[in-house]
Amino acid sequence: MIEVTGLAKRYGDFTAVRDLSFTVGPGEVLGLVGPNGAGKTSTLRCLAGIIPATAGTVRIGGNDLATDPVAAKRTLAFFPDEPRLFDYLTVRQHLNFVARVYGVAHHEALAQPLLEELEIADKADELPGALSRGMKQKLAIACGLLHGPKVMFFDEPLTGLDPLGIRRMKDSILKRARDGAAIVLSSHLLHLLEEVCSHVLILKKGGKIAAGTIAEVAARFSQGEADVNLEEIFIRATGGSEN
Amino acid sequence: MLSALLYLRLTSLRNWVRQRVLRLKQPKYLAGAIVGAAYLWFFFLGPAASGGGARRKAAAQAAGGVWPQAGGALPGHVTGVALAIGALVLLVVVVLAWVLSQERASLGFSEAEIAFLFPAPVTRQALVHFRLVDAQLRSLIGALFLTLVSSRWAFASGSPVIRALGWWLILTAFNLHLAGVRFTLTRLADAGLGTWRRRTLVLGLLAAVLAATWAWLPETQRAPVFDGTREGGRVLAEWATALLGTAPLGWVVQPAKWLLGPFFAADLRAFLVALGPALLVLGVHYVWVVRSVVSFEEGSIERAEKHAARVAAVRSGRGAFHDPAAKGRPGPFLLPGTGRPELAFLWKNLLSTWSWLNVRVWAGGAVVIVAAGWWARSHPAWQQGLAALAAMPLVLIGYVIVAGPQFARQDIRQDLPNADILKTYPLAGWQIVLGEMLTPVTILTGVIWLLLLAAAVTFDPAAIKLPSLGRELFAPGTRAVLLAAAALLTPPLVALQLLVPNAAALVFPTWFQATRQRGGGGVDILGQRLIFFGAQLLTMLLVLLPAALAVAGAVFVVRLAGGPLALGVWLGAGGALTILLGELWAGLLFLGRRFEQFDLSSELRP
Ligand SMILES: Nc1ncnc2c1ncn2[C@@H]1O[C@H](COP(=O)(O)OP(=O)(O)OP(=O)(O)O)[C@@H](O)[C@H]1O
Ligand SMILES: [Mg+2]
Repeated sequence: MIEVTGLAKRYGDFTAVRDLSFTVGPGEVLGLVGPNGAGKTSTLRCLAGIIPATAGTVRIGGNDLATDPVAAKRTLAFFPDEPRLFDYLTVRQHLNFVARVYGVAHHEALAQPLLEELEIADKADELPGALSRGMKQKLAIACGLLHGPKVMFFDEPLTGLDPLGIRRMKDSILKRARDGAAIVLSSHLLHLLEEVCSHVLILKKGGKIAAGTIAEVAARFSQGEADVNLEEIFIRATGGSEN
Repeated sequence: MLSALLYLRLTSLRNWVRQRVLRLKQPKYLAGAIVGAAYLWFFFLGPAASGGGARRKAAAQAAGGVWPQAGGALPGHVTGVALAIGALVLLVVVVLAWVLSQERASLGFSEAEIAFLFPAPVTRQALVHFRLVDAQLRSLIGALFLTLVSSRWAFASGSPVIRALGWWLILTAFNLHLAGVRFTLTRLADAGLGTWRRRTLVLGLLAAVLAATWAWLPETQRAPVFDGTREGGRVLAEWATALLGTAPLGWVVQPAKWLLGPFFAADLRAFLVALGPALLVLGVHYVWVVRSVVSFEEGSIERAEKHAARVAAVRSGRGAFHDPAAKGRPGPFLLPGTGRPELAFLWKNLLSTWSWLNVRVWAGGAVVIVAAGWWARSHPAWQQGLAALAAMPLVLIGYVIVAGPQFARQDIRQDLPNADILKTYPLAGWQIVLGEMLTPVTILTGVIWLLLLAAAVTFDPAAIKLPSLGRELFAPGTRAVLLAAAALLTPPLVALQLLVPNAAALVFPTWFQATRQRGGGGVDILGQRLIFFGAQLLTMLLVLLPAALAVAGAVFVVRLAGGPLALGVWLGAGGALTILLGELWAGLLFLGRRFEQFDLSSELRP
């Protein structure tokens, strides 16, 4: 579903991401982890086609993001760390707008269960200004899920949610993965990541340090100990500092 | 405490300057800075430095101008007139402030300042003082700028230093007055004085003062007497001076005159003499503002500040703002899930404008225009007036085409903060740009069509002498064709005009952002504005030239072949439409590609 080869991103002469290659298949959830400034957001923005990659190729569902962006973007959804909403559209109007952009016929039938699943159905006629941060995030998620994407990118999806919201979010992600979606998400909440992700990729200063299933990565850094958690792996892998 | 605030100010200023200078490494910002600097130099600094201002004054005097040479002692009556006019201007602005002021009072703290300063162990009084002192910095910069601009004003003081200080006094007092007005009005509003009651009160008071003054004047001075022996302007000026010098209006404007005194002082001694009353005015204002602010309840001022900061943030395109009164409203039309995706943007952006911008209001306007025209036509007394009016809509159309894009901005410009999300949509860049532009195109086209209708209704060929071609051109049949052609060409023309500010937003996002932020000005921004304005006019010329040639060519060929003029107009309009659409297409493709490359987060870094 997601095939990345040799991805690099430079801002001017600063390299934010270098030579990244990985694939995420249907049903897999890849967790991007790394210290602040490691390049997680930059990677996700390249994968979603928001900024052009400096080098390398990204294929989404078999379509090259650089040469056929429209086909590639039809199947993907990106959820930024800060929900981006239109101040003057109500919750329901957001979904109506997005439905037209993606050409979703009969969207009302899809929108209502989605709003109910995310528990914002009672706010359907409110403007974003009247929503709390968590509700805004839920609305952004509803907008992204409306067209039934097969590939999803979440940037820090768990921050800002209440405990119940985190639980729901995890369930929601896992459900989409079970339905065959390929998902990449970044987060600093490692213990939660452990429960959601099938694979992890550890980034530091734009480069890949380790990648694989959680068990594989754990085996590499566990130095023979049993039951090493992701947090410990993270500290060991990144050398205990941001540089 | 004050030292911490001062530190905040100074470091902010230093970083601001540093960022500006660093940005000049990019050619597009350098170009803006050069144009801006050149403009300032050629028009203000240069003449001032070379004494050109004085020379021009001398020349003006030699040519019999109204204003004699400055620097030397001005004849009393000239200063008197200038002072009176200045005082009148101040009076009008102040009255407007009392009448129009709508916003709730705030001191204008930024969101970050609220977050850091309001919970800090500082008294409200200290915050207010900090804010007022801080405003002085801005007044000072404004005063320097105005000193440059006014370097050619012969009637002002000859010394630049005195003039700068004069400006500073005026600006400071003016800002204080505005703040005082806002706080006083907010208090009055909280005490239950409605907006309209307040307006009636202020205007009534003003009318009473004017009436009393007028009655006070000697009979001979109550109206200006134009007897032909003296220049009309001078008569008017002297009349106004007399009016402003008479009680009770004289008392009302006296503070304004005191304030303006230093600005008009001819030399240092006169300046020092005039300084006393001016400082008194300033001092009274200061006390007024500090008292009216501090007496506010603590919580309410903080809330007001937060509200104001959020409004400012939204105006500059950052962050969401929730007006508790704002409610969602139904979409402008039904938007099914399938169909051209560009229309989704029209639907969305129409929701961001006033709700009265809709088809019903437009149709109502059209009906009113037609009915009024029809009615006027059947009343001979009005026909003369109609002929004179006919040019108005045409002038307005020109104005809407040139300036409209600055007012109707429900396009990419307001959606830049959402660029990241827009770019994940499965649409080509040009589709997004086109979709975003549909709303202002629709609005401006609607306005222009109404104006065209007004022109058609009021136009009366019998009222003007026409050469033979004109007579044929304005024969009823051809006129209808002309009107239809103009209506047809309007949307692409408006769209082309809108491409310019949208291109500006995408190519110069930092500038674009800066012009919408408080305190974002600078020489490069000035240059940028000039470049944009020039670009707007130039685009119009470049875009219209081929289209105009097409029309002229078609008309010429048809005439040569002996065909009817209307046919020529039709053919020409068709050619022009094709050309305009082609140009629009090219522009959209360019901007679309630019949008695909666009990264706001990179652009906002130096
Ligand atoms: N537009 C930009 N221009 C220049 N440098 C940038 C830009 N965006 C990001 N960077 C730099 O690239 C590096 C990676 O940033 P990125 O936002 O991808 O990190 P991150 O892993 O998401 O960090 P965090 O955990 O804090 O979200 C940082 O050093 C950042 O300063
Ligand atoms: Mg990030």
